[in-house]
Amino acid sequence: MTIAEAVDETPDTRTFRLTFQDPAVAETFAFEAGQFGEYSAFGAGESTFCIASPSTRRGYVECTFKKAGKVTTALSDLNAGDTIGFRGPYGNNFPLDKMEGANLVFVAGGIGLAPVRSVIWTVLDEREKYGDVTIVYGARSVSDLVYKRELEEWAGRADVKLWQTVDPGGETPDWKGEIGFVPTIVEKAAPSADNAFAILCGPPIMIKFTLPVLQKLGFQDSRVYTTLENRMKCGIGKCGRCNIGPVYVCKDGPVFSAEEIARLPQEF
Amino acid sequence: MKELQELSRSLLADGQVNVVIGWEQGPTGARPVFVTKPEDADRLIFDQRCVHNLAAYLSPRRPNVGKLGKAAIVAKPCDAKAVAGLIRESQIKREDVVVIGVRCGGVLADPASKEALSAETVSERCPGCESREPTLADHVLGDMPPPPPGERRRDARIDELEAMPPAERWAFWQAEFERCVRCNACRQVCPLCTCDRCVTEKTQPLWIESSAHSRGVFAWQLTRAQHHAGRCADCGECDRVCPVDIPLGLLNREVARIVERRFGFEMTDDPAAAEPIGAFRMEDEQEFIR
Amino acid sequence: MTKAITKEALTGLVAELTAAGVRVIAPAKAADGGTDYRAIFTLADAILGGEMPRRSLRAVFQPPTEAVFGWERKGTGIELTPAAAASQPQVVLGARPCDAAGVNVLDKVMGWDYKDDMWFARREATTIISLACAEMAPTCFCDKIGLSADATVGADVLLRPAGEGYTAEALTAKGEAFVSGHARWFSDEPVTADPAPPSREAFPLDKIEEWLEGHFEDALWADLGLRCLGCGACTSICPTCHCFDIVDETDGTAAGTRRRNWDTCQTGLFTVHTSGHNPRADQASRCRQRILHKFEIYPKRFEAVLCTGCGRCVQACPAGVIVPEILDSIAQRANGGAA
Repeated sequence: MTIAEAVDETPDTRTFRLTFQDPAVAETFAFEAGQFGEYSAFGAGESTFCIASPSTRRGYVECTFKKAGKVTTALSDLNAGDTIGFRGPYGNNFPLDKMEGANLVFVAGGIGLAPVRSVIWTVLDEREKYGDVTIVYGARSVSDLVYKRELEEWAGRADVKLWQTVDPGGETPDWKGEIGFVPTIVEKAAPSADNAFAILCGPPIMIKFTLPVLQKLGFQDSRVYTTLENRMKCGIGKCGRCNIGPVYVCKDGPVFSAEEIARLPQEF
Repeated sequence: MKELQELSRSLLADGQVNVVIGWEQGPTGARPVFVTKPEDADRLIFDQRCVHNLAAYLSPRRPNVGKLGKAAIVAKPCDAKAVAGLIRESQIKREDVVVIGVRCGGVLADPASKEALSAETVSERCPGCESREPTLADHVLGDMPPPPPGERRRDARIDELEAMPPAERWAFWQAEFERCVRCNACRQVCPLCTCDRCVTEKTQPLWIESSAHSRGVFAWQLTRAQHHAGRCADCGECDRVCPVDIPLGLLNREVARIVERRFGFEMTDDPAAAEPIGAFRMEDEQEFIR
Repeated sequence: MTKAITKEALTGLVAELTAAGVRVIAPAKAADGGTDYRAIFTLADAILGGEMPRRSLRAVFQPPTEAVFGWERKGTGIELTPAAAASQPQVVLGARPCDAAGVNVLDKVMGWDYKDDMWFARREATTIISLACAEMAPTCFCDKIGLSADATVGADVLLRPAGEGYTAEALTAKGEAFVSGHARWFSDEPVTADPAPPSREAFPLDKIEEWLEGHFEDALWADLGLRCLGCGACTSICPTCHCFDIVDETDGTAAGTRRRNWDTCQTGLFTVHTSGHNPRADQASRCRQRILHKFEIYPKRFEAVLCTGCGRCVQACPAGVIVPEILDSIAQRANGGAA
């Protein structure tokens, strides 16, 4: 695929918009929000990220990644016009068909907004199908917030309730949002659990402390969805490393309900 | 045997140690055991089938063993060289381990063997052994058995290899390394492979390719051998574990010989000795950086 | 259909195959005197019914390292050259029944969902002629996994020792085509095969699976993790272990190869995240993964245990971790006994 556009989200996080080099594939390629791909920087290897763009928009995919290891460092060095490899879409997706007509609560931390953003735009592109939309998004500091332009757009929309927060000490003098950890802000936002689903993604510690808050607000575990990450190589259930007990994140995930996660062995 | 069991029982009962790392009779032969209760001390054995060098279990790379608390280790005098290596390289502290030294008359190559100790069945490293009386030990057990049978076949083999023209020697190792699948078992079992991150796992830059092609295999095997220069205790565990029988012991011994010739250093169980790799001497020959 | 074949006829058959450009792979002596599955040119090079080859048949269908594709930078683009799927016709002669069964077990995961082309290209080009074992080594436990010394699963043709020669039973369409295609070497003379060694009672694999499901947390794992050195030797000789890594290797800056390499679940590196977080951070969890994968996870998805009882892991383990002993002890617990 060709990098059509490269955006620096934060000092170490980038978003690529990728377009297909093969017109036939561009025509037929489709995916669902929550699925992931294997992205190649040729010579360095492959890395696994979710598809961060909405499934409603055809002809391209977007991915957002943090420069951390060998492959993400090599990917970071690429720019618009360069070629990268893509395999996918793999894995399951957020069950949006089940969520039609319901109110949606999105909770994300840091770069965990990427898969959630895919769902948010998919929902906003077909806004009439869904009820209220509440978004709680936090990062360690103001400079760690990703998709800043889109956050502004969501903040300005009447049909979206957006709560932005940064960890204490991460604020700037002109920061207008909340200051506090994501679970605390979720509690403060107190979205109603009536006819609602929650979709969350973020660092393990955020998920760990947000789940009890959602429970307290009355969300049933079967209506709370998140995505799990594990080291993957093949993406197609053969290389043997991403399983959590009998469940393969690449095939049976990456999207799981809190109910499913509670049944998994604690090895992730 | 009785002596070993009684000593271990009292070390555990008095709270001097939390675990005794020794050998037991398993379903197929001798194998390592971790005795944490005085009443289990009867499981401990020591005989000619106890070929395993247990020092690997003291390595900080095995935190699950470390969590058991203070350890006593049953060590043959050659195994004690690896214990000393761990102490020399600041991986463990001498006072943190109780060494139960056992006098040794050689061990079988195969811990599951039921054969008598003979020139054919003895472990390659035993014939001609000069360190049969434990010196790095808090307790010394057993009587001195007769010396291990057999000749130093391996040294003769290394002489042969050294005498070969380089092309022929290269061909020999090529044939052996052809079987290597880069499983890295040799590294995992080595008591002195203590790097937190092995050079073959470093990817930025990629020093050694992990593939089992000749580039990856030679880079790995030669690097491994050099990293053990003057450090290898010659316990033969890499040799024993190799699932495709690559004679890694030959390579290690060859490197050890070079170190002996060049630096006058022989692997020792003296924890205070200076290893060539970690010691600087003005009189060392520096021709390699000219 | 069962026929017979003499040693002389088998010699002729091998000569005919190799002359026709078919690669014949059989247990044979390697340079160092050990036995491996290797290409042979005459039957005299094969050691039929000898000691267990060091490595299983996995390498025949999935080599320890194999190129997936080559890439080359062309301007801002990348040109990919897919690796040619190996399709030279080959015959494995004298496969151990446990090794043939291993290939069949692996077909399931390789064919599941996305078909692994590289695996199946080699599978389709290969005819497996296995040879029933005349005796069981002390480390063998195929019978306890539900197979036997003369198991047929995974083989296209099964030879059984019969005095000086063999009986030959075609088991699959491919096997029948092979026997009829080389009919002149096989005879219809009724020959009686030597009796195969008897099978012991199998492990209660269903009960073991059930126990594993309910005992993710158990002292057993910590115990195993102490003795296990995490060397992974067991995984590199296993007929059914199939975990792999995918790596890129470069030739200079503008070209390179993506390769698939064998990997092992027994080292921390296998699952460690870039962040340093490792879901399987200690040896206990890695030992647990190995046993669970073989006797709970794989059976759940594919209705087959990921083990054929070849016993290589028993021989290979430097520390005396013994799978049949572990299964015995789980079976005892599953039956309410103390292990």
